[in-house]
Amino acid sequence: MLDMQELTKAVGDLDEKKVLGLLNEFVASNPSPQDTAMVVSACQQGMAIVGDLFDAKEYFVGDLIFAGELLTSAIDILKPVMGGENTAKIGKMVLATVQGDLHDIGKNIFKSMSEAAGFEVYDLGIDAPASAFVEKVKEVNPEIVGMSGVLTLALDSMKNTVEALKEAGLRDGVKLIIGGNPVTEEACNMIGADAFTTNAAEGVKICQGWVK
Amino acid sequence: MIIIGEKINGTIPGVKKAIAAKDEEFIRSIAINQAEAGADYIDVCAGTAPEIEAETLIWLMDIVQGAVDKPLCIDSPNPKTIAKVFGHAKKPGIINSVSEEGEKCETIYPMIQGTEWQVIALTCDKRGIPSDVQTRVDITKILVEKAQKYDITPDRIHIDPLVMALSADNRSLLNFADTLTAVKKLYPTIKVTSGLSNISFGMPLRKIVNQHFLAIAVYAGMDSAILDPCNRDILTTLLTTEALLGRDRYCRNFANAYRKNKIGPPKNE
Repeated sequence: MLDMQELTKAVGDLDEKKVLGLLNEFVASNPSPQDTAMVVSACQQGMAIVGDLFDAKEYFVGDLIFAGELLTSAIDILKPVMGGENTAKIGKMVLATVQGDLHDIGKNIFKSMSEAAGFEVYDLGIDAPASAFVEKVKEVNPEIVGMSGVLTLALDSMKNTVEALKEAGLRDGVKLIIGGNPVTEEACNMIGADAFTTNAAEGVKICQGWVK
Repeated sequence: MIIIGEKINGTIPGVKKAIAAKDEEFIRSIAINQAEAGADYIDVCAGTAPEIEAETLIWLMDIVQGAVDKPLCIDSPNPKTIAKVFGHAKKPGIINSVSEEGEKCETIYPMIQGTEWQVIALTCDKRGIPSDVQTRVDITKILVEKAQKYDITPDRIHIDPLVMALSADNRSLLNFADTLTAVKKLYPTIKVTSGLSNISFGMPLRKIVNQHFLAIAVYAGMDSAILDPCNRDILTTLLTTEALLGRDRYCRNFANAYRKNKIGPPKNE
């Protein structure tokens, strides 16, 4: 059986060769779905280390993007040995960069990490108006709505989006998380979101907590 | 190289404070410092709430024009704001900026028809910011063809291909250079411009990355840049690069700047 701590550490170190090597070896041993679930969880714990190192300014944006790719490859390797239960999505999420903002680096990092964590993500892209959020939420009925932005004016768009969800009677049916450079606790309260983060890995952790 | 001095921008904390406090002296001194450091144009950006953007811009423009002889680069995301303040400029400068979003060209181009005003044109449209060369070239064509309808020739247009963050797009600089080459093949007299800081988003040692970006972009043929001419390291990179590229006769700009203690390690006065 694979050494979980070693795997978690390798993911945290973003040691691609080691992570993929360990996982390929694991898959070749024809493991049970229960063991596979533990391996997935070990990978996700490694991702939490990546988030901490980003916070500590040891890792940078390029490292986070790479981490998202690494986790996606890890899940791809593990898919054949996951049980039906594990391949089932843990929740649905509607995600976009809000109206007036075209920045999507952070949103895309969060997206790839969320997908790797088992969310089905509906990505509305950039400059998404409140109406696009409302339509998509109506259509797919997600547990979570994620709003991203880099510009200060994105905060106004986030607020407008929350208002639009309220008007459509959809606000109480979802958890709302905002992310990006300008978000603060104060902004989160003003906007009426449930959580905020400037760290994609931490954001994914919050979302996982919501669907447990 | 055409230098557009970037320091009078209300999104920079010190300037924001000066705007709020109506501190004319602060604005005046950064205008003078940039002009002395070699800025050809002085960018003015209010960065305030939309309701007071026009009046703030006019206030900034009046101070800068009272302090230095350099033309302005009027900087606002809102073309209607630019139209409101345009008449307060004493001489032709640069409009910053148009793009294929909204009605920007349709508002700005007629305004500068028959003048010597230049314009910065961003290669983005309502679909967002492209990172590939072809879409940027396609948008450039639309921006230039629309300008021709108002007799605005390509030499009055500074194309800004909107450099992506290198950490996310590893071909960012190479795509910038390829876009520059392709655009100039189509319109030999057109200018290509860029800011310096986008490239280094999310990376450590951003200033170092920005300086090297500047050197390579100048070599690739960038005509103008929005930068801080008072930054010693940036100016050192710029003058060194220009000398290396044979654009500084007998390296005299370089030597003069050194003698005046503007580049290299600071000499104690």
